[in-house]
Amino acid sequence: MTLLQNKIPPATHRGIEEGVLERAAGKRNRRTYLALLIPGLLGLLVSFVFPLAYMIRMSFNKGAPDGVIIETFTLETYIQPLTDPYYWRVTLDTFQMGVTVGVLCVLVSYPVALFLARSTSKYRGLLIAVAIAPLLTSAVVRTYGWMVILGTNGLVNSSLEGMGLITEPLKLTNNMTGVTIGLVEIFMPYAILAMISGFGRLNRQLEEAAGSLGASKFKVFTRVTLPLSLPGLLTAFLLVFVLAISTFITPRLLGGGSVQVLATEIYDQTTGLLNWPFAAALSVILLVLFGVIIAVYQRLTKKIGG
Amino acid sequence: MTETKLSIKDLTKRYAAGLEPAVDRLNMEVEEGHLVALLGPSGCGKTTTLRMVAGLMDPTAGSIMVDGKEITHTPVNKRGMGMVFQSYALFPHMNVEQNVAFGLQMRQTPKSEQKKRVAAALDMVQLGHLGKRQTKELSGGQQQRIALARALVVEPTLLLLDEPLSNLDAKLRETMRSEIRSIQQRTRATTLFVTHDQDEALDMADRIAVMNGGLIEQFGSPTEVYERPRTHFVANFIGQANFLTARVGADTGAAPVGERYYKIDVDGFGQFGAVGVPGLTGSTHELVIRPHRLNVSLHPGVVGPESIAGTIERVSYTGDALAVAVRVGEKSLQAQLLTSSGDLPRAGETAYLSWVAEDAYLLPAPAKGLPE
Amino acid sequence: MRATIKGKIAAVAASTVAILTLSACGGGSGSSAGDSPTSGEVNLIAYSGVWQDQYTAAVIEPFKAKYPNIKINYASKRSSAEMLSALQGQKNNPATDVAIMDNSVSTTGNNQGLFEKIDTTSVPNLANVPEKFRDKDGYGPVAMLDAVGLLYDTATFPKAPESWKVLWDPAYAGKINVNAPPSLLGLSLTAITSKMEGEDYTKGIDKAVARLKEMAPGVQTFAPNPDEYQNVITGQTVLGLGQNARGQFYSDQSNKKMGVTFPKEGTVYQINTINLVKDAPHSAAAKTFVDYALSAEAQTAFAKALFYAPSVSNAELPADVKNRVVPTDGSLNIVPLDVEFLSSARDKWTDTWKRQIITK
Repeated sequence: MTLLQNKIPPATHRGIEEGVLERAAGKRNRRTYLALLIPGLLGLLVSFVFPLAYMIRMSFNKGAPDGVIIETFTLETYIQPLTDPYYWRVTLDTFQMGVTVGVLCVLVSYPVALFLARSTSKYRGLLIAVAIAPLLTSAVVRTYGWMVILGTNGLVNSSLEGMGLITEPLKLTNNMTGVTIGLVEIFMPYAILAMISGFGRLNRQLEEAAGSLGASKFKVFTRVTLPLSLPGLLTAFLLVFVLAISTFITPRLLGGGSVQVLATEIYDQTTGLLNWPFAAALSVILLVLFGVIIAVYQRLTKKIGG
Repeated sequence: MTETKLSIKDLTKRYAAGLEPAVDRLNMEVEEGHLVALLGPSGCGKTTTLRMVAGLMDPTAGSIMVDGKEITHTPVNKRGMGMVFQSYALFPHMNVEQNVAFGLQMRQTPKSEQKKRVAAALDMVQLGHLGKRQTKELSGGQQQRIALARALVVEPTLLLLDEPLSNLDAKLRETMRSEIRSIQQRTRATTLFVTHDQDEALDMADRIAVMNGGLIEQFGSPTEVYERPRTHFVANFIGQANFLTARVGADTGAAPVGERYYKIDVDGFGQFGAVGVPGLTGSTHELVIRPHRLNVSLHPGVVGPESIAGTIERVSYTGDALAVAVRVGEKSLQAQLLTSSGDLPRAGETAYLSWVAEDAYLLPAPAKGLPE
Repeated sequence: MRATIKGKIAAVAASTVAILTLSACGGGSGSSAGDSPTSGEVNLIAYSGVWQDQYTAAVIEPFKAKYPNIKINYASKRSSAEMLSALQGQKNNPATDVAIMDNSVSTTGNNQGLFEKIDTTSVPNLANVPEKFRDKDGYGPVAMLDAVGLLYDTATFPKAPESWKVLWDPAYAGKINVNAPPSLLGLSLTAITSKMEGEDYTKGIDKAVARLKEMAPGVQTFAPNPDEYQNVITGQTVLGLGQNARGQFYSDQSNKKMGVTFPKEGTVYQINTINLVKDAPHSAAAKTFVDYALSAEAQTAFAKALFYAPSVSNAELPADVKNRVVPTDGSLNIVPLDVEFLSSARDKWTDTWKRQIITK
């Protein structure tokens, strides 16, 4: 996008002088580069800019029952959710779910990522492949897997009952608990990958240096390993957070209709009630939420990156 | 009086069962205040040895003693050593002062003393003015000094340097060499220094351990390892050398430092004088002559009876010096001349070679199918 | 001005994609293919899953045997709302010929001008559809009927529960699945509860809401997955809302592990209509198909396959099928849920459930 703004400066004709030909050639090159960008930009235009603009335009229409869209320009679709405590609660729940899933996912992925990042084993490549292999199965399949595991007669409940620890099955699915467990597992590979690539400044020698200077294993971790892996942790958290608040498959399948977040609300409005303008307005709100989070993230990384 | 600071006994490291050991029953004693260089080609086990001393790696067998106390299995953070890594390993999330203060913080030194000692350490490496800088803003040489200050500020029992100069450019390396040496001498820190650069080792070390294949080939002062190499490997690795196979004849008398003069016989060259340890008569030994100890003349008779005629094969001029390759029969000998000698040889001319007996050294171990 | 702009936008988007990819539109669309009553193709839009499987086997395959020159392209959707959404998108350039969907949704389609009227000239079998199952304006008639039933686990209930009140029984708390609105099942339950509480749900549902709130904490899931039937069959729940037709089918499939029944307080019909899309690209062949779908042969076959009640008077069902499909002779207590009313209540009731009934 920025390339489009960088217009080629107008040519200055000050007679024949050295470098004019060279500059002309440079300009030709630049045009060639710009020409090469066109297919990609067109693709982006059709697949991203156009739908986004359409969605934003749609959000200012008015929705009537049965999928009828009244073409107009109104802020009603925004005023309605913004003045309705229900949508504030949904937005807050969405945010809370994102934070919970992000924090838990980072916590469970961190040891794995740390191990993989520091491993010098010849099987490291294989181990990384294993860690991210779950990405090969779709989130839907894995969510169904969790439904089986967490269900009333699922693996967890029947084992706990078998051990005599519980008499009534725990409600682990069709609620936020189930959605959280499912999302944490589903996003672990992303978190691990993000962390491994974010651990750039971390290396064994720094930990050895700290050790040689008298730091115990615990001190090495708190004073060196953790601070240096913070950017990776933050990136992973942000990635998982963004994925979590925008996903609808898992909240829908594991939430049992009682987990209401922005994404499921958008889905319901779009496919169930056919209220596209309202769904579009909710999407724009979600998008704004993303924007705020990413802005905060960039501030934070700048601070940490020093 | 000197005291033994570090004593290593039969230290062995085997990375995996069945593999050749990386370090093989290594023995070494380092005197208090000495700077010892572990010198050798890559893969000789020098870094492994250093890491075992530092506590960063567990030995397979053997023991390490510091000040008479066994520390073989003491964890790294309890050894009180200071280490400078090849990459300096400065903490990127701390500024210069915080880096230097780290070791003191770990020792829970009072804040006010920390401050004083950090300032003193930074002054010692002449970077007192950069305390608040981020480490990534520093040049390679500056980072290296900070790493040194960080290691020394804790007054380590041993200072360990792992190829500390290898990431610097040639000019800076020379400066840092003398600086490290002078700091080491001022602080009297017993130092173990890993390098693959013989010049560095010869220039800086009190003792050099020349390592090869997990073993110490020779442990001695720079002059000893240079002038009196114990093995072909040492002679070849440190400086340049011409090797000739000599049959050792009569012992012709006592030379300085307990060595003897011998009459020797070299195929195609004739009979000459050489020095070596006592008792070599009757066996075959390798003769080592450094190129610059070889006299080259274009006129016969200028040199003594031990002159040999040969043909100049190649002359290479490097400014200060002139390297000459002289072919005598099957052998090609390297010689080095100062360019001030107005009479410059040219390829194809006949040259006459000679040396004094003291500069021709017989290796103590008998030659047996050694490479030329 | 009321208009569906989805159509325009979709058309623009579609043509942009077409230009970019330099390829013609995907198979089936466009009126270039030959169209006659006995040849060409028919693009059908209808339900997915087991419905699609059974309808294909019971109706589409025999139709193809009879009219080998007509090809049926089946586009499946999870709900009638999704079908409507698809048809709205094609409004200016229809690609679909026939839609089988819930009558509440097809009425919306009729009002939005998405469908064509049907008469006995081109669809002779329409004559066999009784007046009550025909659209009063002549749009697509009822193709099959079903009703909302109560699903139950036969191990827990050796005898089918007689009343919807069992859903409030604390003994089964946590073992109930209820599909919340906008699902028709949830809308139906709202109306049924309202009626049980003696209120007129066309005026207000406060009493029903209060009652449903009492039930809600005991509901295991408001959006059962993979579906309401599997939840009961696998034992995740022991009671649930479901369609009678599919319930009967899955009852057989699960070896009677699950049963389905119509409680005495009454139930709500779920009626599917068969509709001809306005300006359908293969109108002639489509009419042939609609006619076949209304034949006694097709109606009987589908009733046997998936237990939907036929909408034609000349379909004869064997006794063991007849007593498992929903009665259409007035013998069943029906809670009427008027289509026009539903269209205005759907959003409101959905909101009410979300905000007041569903608990976390």
